[in-house]
Amino acid sequence: MPVYAIETKNLTKVFEKKAKIEGKGLKHFFRRVRPKKEELVAVDHINLGIKEGELFGLLGPNGAGKTTTIKLLSTLLIPDEGTATVNGYDVSKQPREVQQSIGVVTGGERGLYWRLTGRENLWFFSQLYNIPDRVAKKRIDELLPLVELEKRADEHVEKYSRGMKQRLHVIRGLVNDPPIILMDEPTLGLDPGSARVIRDFVKNELQGKQNKTILHTTHYMEEADQLCDRIAIIDNGKIIALDTPEKLKKKIRRTDIISMNVSNLQQADEKKLQAIDGVKKAVIAFTDPTVGKASIKIHCDNAEEVMPVATEFLIRNGARIMTLEQTKPTLEDVFISMTGRKLRD
Amino acid sequence: MNVIREWRTFKAIFVRNIKLFTAYKAWVIATVIWPIPLLALNILQWGLFGTLGEVSETLEQSGFPPLAGTIIVGTIVYLLYNRLLWGTGVSIQSERWMGTIEVLFVTPTNKMTVLLASGVSSLVEASWWIVCIFGMSWMLFGVQPSITSWPTVFLCLVSTMVALLAVGVFFGGFFVLTRAADQLASGLQAPIRFFSGVAFPVNVLPQTLQFVSFVIPVTYGILTLRDSILSGGDINTIWLNIVALYAMAAIFLVLAHFTIKAVERRAKKNGTLYMF
Repeated sequence: MPVYAIETKNLTKVFEKKAKIEGKGLKHFFRRVRPKKEELVAVDHINLGIKEGELFGLLGPNGAGKTTTIKLLSTLLIPDEGTATVNGYDVSKQPREVQQSIGVVTGGERGLYWRLTGRENLWFFSQLYNIPDRVAKKRIDELLPLVELEKRADEHVEKYSRGMKQRLHVIRGLVNDPPIILMDEPTLGLDPGSARVIRDFVKNELQGKQNKTILHTTHYMEEADQLCDRIAIIDNGKIIALDTPEKLKKKIRRTDIISMNVSNLQQADEKKLQAIDGVKKAVIAFTDPTVGKASIKIHCDNAEEVMPVATEFLIRNGARIMTLEQTKPTLEDVFISMTGRKLRD
Repeated sequence: MNVIREWRTFKAIFVRNIKLFTAYKAWVIATVIWPIPLLALNILQWGLFGTLGEVSETLEQSGFPPLAGTIIVGTIVYLLYNRLLWGTGVSIQSERWMGTIEVLFVTPTNKMTVLLASGVSSLVEASWWIVCIFGMSWMLFGVQPSITSWPTVFLCLVSTMVALLAVGVFFGGFFVLTRAADQLASGLQAPIRFFSGVAFPVNVLPQTLQFVSFVIPVTYGILTLRDSILSGGDINTIWLNIVALYAMAAIFLVLAHFTIKAVERRAKKNGTLYMF
């Protein structure tokens, strides 16, 4: 039995992308025909060890390398450097064995045949995993009630709501009863109710009752915080922190955090905020730039000293402060303290 | 190779394709209507030179086979080829369009089996053409077949289908790499139609162009079927073309086997597998 259900050593994936085309006239035309290529390091020497039965989170902003990591582990991509093993099998050398050991759950509307029923979709995938017909039908009958889809199982998927499609996605990933499940943003774009159903199912059923090993990627820090035993924070293809959610937050516990919601903010004066004495990091994220609505996070040594100076600075610049509070560190604060950016930048 | 595993994959793909095909009623109707004007156009264009009977008679005097029958057989084989090119060749691209390519490629399936099943389901979807076009054309254009051996006709038809299936699987494998599968498939339609002699015997082409004709399985399919249906040919007269069809099927299947592996690996290396 392997020590880790999933293990990566210096796993790296580099993509080629077209360089920005500059120049004018003929030069521009020829560069369009044969554009220069640039390298984009999507996953950069990552090392992970995920234990059997663990619910492991990969948290990071869009474009951080989460999906590429899932694709490497699920054999959809071949690594350029390093190795990865899933259930003891090498993803490059034993792809079939890896595929047999995993269930892949993606987020979004894709990945299902809309003109087939939910039951037909599940049967189709069960056959691709070489499951005998009788066993497959029994398993499908067991899986459907777990996500409350048994009554709609014989309707075409196109008639399903977004949340129902996502629940079908989840049980499609379980149709072969794999020991390891790779979930790529399974709650992406779902309403809070549907997202909660998926989260509860993952935590209580998949990990709690079925003891599956789960790698769960998300850019929702609350989700990672609630669900995961351990979390790796990924940014620009690199793992920048890895620990339990509590320990990650503990690392910045000595930092005071001021959270503000403001309106009428004219420009992102992060540098000026950061220049205030005692401020370690200041991040502004506009939620509605047309009216200058933004949320501001300030990491500092002493909130009592920084708060009056910062608010005065903002008011002087025309901003209206809607809410102001001193908050406990979240995983987003961990991310801010390490990168100087918000998770959803 | 695990035969049961491959059979399950084959069955799943076949059943899914037939269900998806029949789920789009408009597509079924379009498939029914589509071959009729194509066939009519191929035949009626000769009306420009006189009545069809006169033109056919004049052509036959210079060694040309019966006009309408020649075109009908050519069109049927071409339509089967076309259906396989789109049904099998573009099947992986269709998975991209449906957003299912990733979930298909993370399953431990043999992609060759996936393509073969797509090909067979395409043949089933198109099989009515053979019966309907024959029946309708003979009624409309009064062509009298000259069949001396039905088993030979059946053998020709099956051999042609096997060869066309192999071509479809080859293209299917090759098209994994490209996002322009539909454009390439469209681009292949007219040249194949010309070089395989859908509407005329290939021996009227210049010698150099005939060389191209004889590396296309569609040509052999048309030749054997014309021979067995229109000229009363039996196994003694068509065996060479049958051998050519199976040889080509074998070549294309072997090529497909290696192409699929190489192309899938390259697509996974470049990260283009799931790109539109």
